[in-house]
Amino acid sequence: MGNNVMKQRQDAGEQLKTSLGVLKMKTPISVSSGTFDLETLEFYDQNCLGAFVCKTITREPKKGNPPPRLYETEAGLINSIGLQNPGLDMFIKENLPRYREELSVPLIVSFSGSSTDEFCEMLEMLEAQEGIDGYEINISCPNVENEGIAFGTQADVVHNLVSRLKPLTKRELCIKLSPNVTDITEIAKAAEAGGATSLALINSLYGMAVDHQTGMSRIKMGVGGYTGMGIKPVALALTYKTAQVVDIPIVAMGGIYDWKDALEFIWAGASAIALGTAHFVNPLAAPEVMMGLGDYLLNNNKSMNDIKGACRFS
Amino acid sequence: MTKPQYRQRAIVQREELSEDYFILWIWDEDMGALCKPGQFYEIRALAVFEDAPTSVSIPRLFKPISIYDNQGGRIGFMIKRVGLGTNALSKLKAGDTLELIGPAGNGFPLAEDRKILLISGGAGYPPLWYLQKKLIGQNKVYWIHGGATGSDIFPCDEMWTEDGSIGRKGRACDDLENTIKEREIDLIYSCGPFGMLKEATRISEMYDIEHYSSLEAYMACGIGVCHGCTVPIGTKEDWDYLRVCKEGPVFSAKEIRWEIM
Repeated sequence: MGNNVMKQRQDAGEQLKTSLGVLKMKTPISVSSGTFDLETLEFYDQNCLGAFVCKTITREPKKGNPPPRLYETEAGLINSIGLQNPGLDMFIKENLPRYREELSVPLIVSFSGSSTDEFCEMLEMLEAQEGIDGYEINISCPNVENEGIAFGTQADVVHNLVSRLKPLTKRELCIKLSPNVTDITEIAKAAEAGGATSLALINSLYGMAVDHQTGMSRIKMGVGGYTGMGIKPVALALTYKTAQVVDIPIVAMGGIYDWKDALEFIWAGASAIALGTAHFVNPLAAPEVMMGLGDYLLNNNKSMNDIKGACRFS
Repeated sequence: MTKPQYRQRAIVQREELSEDYFILWIWDEDMGALCKPGQFYEIRALAVFEDAPTSVSIPRLFKPISIYDNQGGRIGFMIKRVGLGTNALSKLKAGDTLELIGPAGNGFPLAEDRKILLISGGAGYPPLWYLQKKLIGQNKVYWIHGGATGSDIFPCDEMWTEDGSIGRKGRACDDLENTIKEREIDLIYSCGPFGMLKEATRISEMYDIEHYSSLEAYMACGIGVCHGCTVPIGTKEDWDYLRVCKEGPVFSAKEIRWEIM
């Protein structure tokens, strides 16, 4: 690489900077919870990432769903993991020290509770820990106080939850929204009004696959979460619609495989993007997206802010 | 243990075994030095997807394939055509590029001075080939292999086919008890279809014989991240879903909770 190219890369580095409500990111590239971990970082230099999001943690350990949990389907993947995780105590004791030691990029802890009180308890326990830059609040889980209806499906419940969490932290408070709702913009507005500093969307869509010969569901639990290439148009539309109604930054995800996909989401209003299923399809997706985005911004003499939400219709 | 690495390597040779099976050989001395029997690679044909609308129907996930052989870095993957992913692999020829993530998984524990039985069915054959090369010499080894038809049969000591076209008619486990008694077997390694492994475990439990089984599962990441490939492992009262790609693919057979799989 010649000196000019190296200089260009550094300039691109400047142009790739972005920020969420609190968190400053060196690149707009984050990772979708549960698709990425320290093992993936064996493949490349982690500095292409603007943030690292861990797999969702619950208060108590979760065994997860019975297998089969995965099926590769049309243009994507159906999964039904069931939030298998070691629980918060074990996470704080074992995972967090490893993250602190091995990560040089900001750590966002994704967690989920079964009641508003439990969400608050978990946040307080995490606040007592160093080396955490923010939280991704996974509200796609059943609320035991509300007949098991998922937190993320009701605007008033989301508003109440976020209002309770907000006074407990000065760190990034990113609420992850489910697309499996009547109107995602109502949920987004409720999260913002409650004090969210950013939004992450979209979580997986409902998905199912059946063996046409035998009638057997490909996934043991029947309905799973559909991710990957096939959900990109849906994710893009919901990113655009949400960006129209909130002022807080959006981390967009859903079928982003390469830098061109990433750019589409930024045009539609995202401040950052996350790669998920892409990691399983292209282990080098993150550094390739960084290079591609950097080249695009540099060649067109634009910054992230210039294109964010600047999607045109004529 | 070495952490799985991502590589792109040219296929140096392609070998046709039967109607359904073929071998892809690659060459990498460094990788060869890291591999152990029972480990696997996630592999995929390198394809350029850019601006190809047809790519929507192309399977894009890597497929977990056991290491069939490792001759000082000449690494072979013996593959059965079963679905879209392995069919795509079957179209590759020498000179084409494979993407690989590995070596992954724990591998078989090796042994010395034992009377060993290897038992495999169909596409469960490949990892045992690499294993027996490491066992022969230090152990007495007897290998039973079964398949649906002659096309599933490869070199071993005792062959079974369900259609009776090669070897004995029936399934690999049909005469297992006699073999265990006659040969005073004290260690079993198995790989193959679920039903065969379950039956082999029932019999090894009956005779209280140490038994290791290599399992297969649908996988996305292959490196322990996504928790998509788990199986129930532990005692009847206390078990957890462990990852085939990381804690496995080889498990102590008596710890596999077959009854809830």
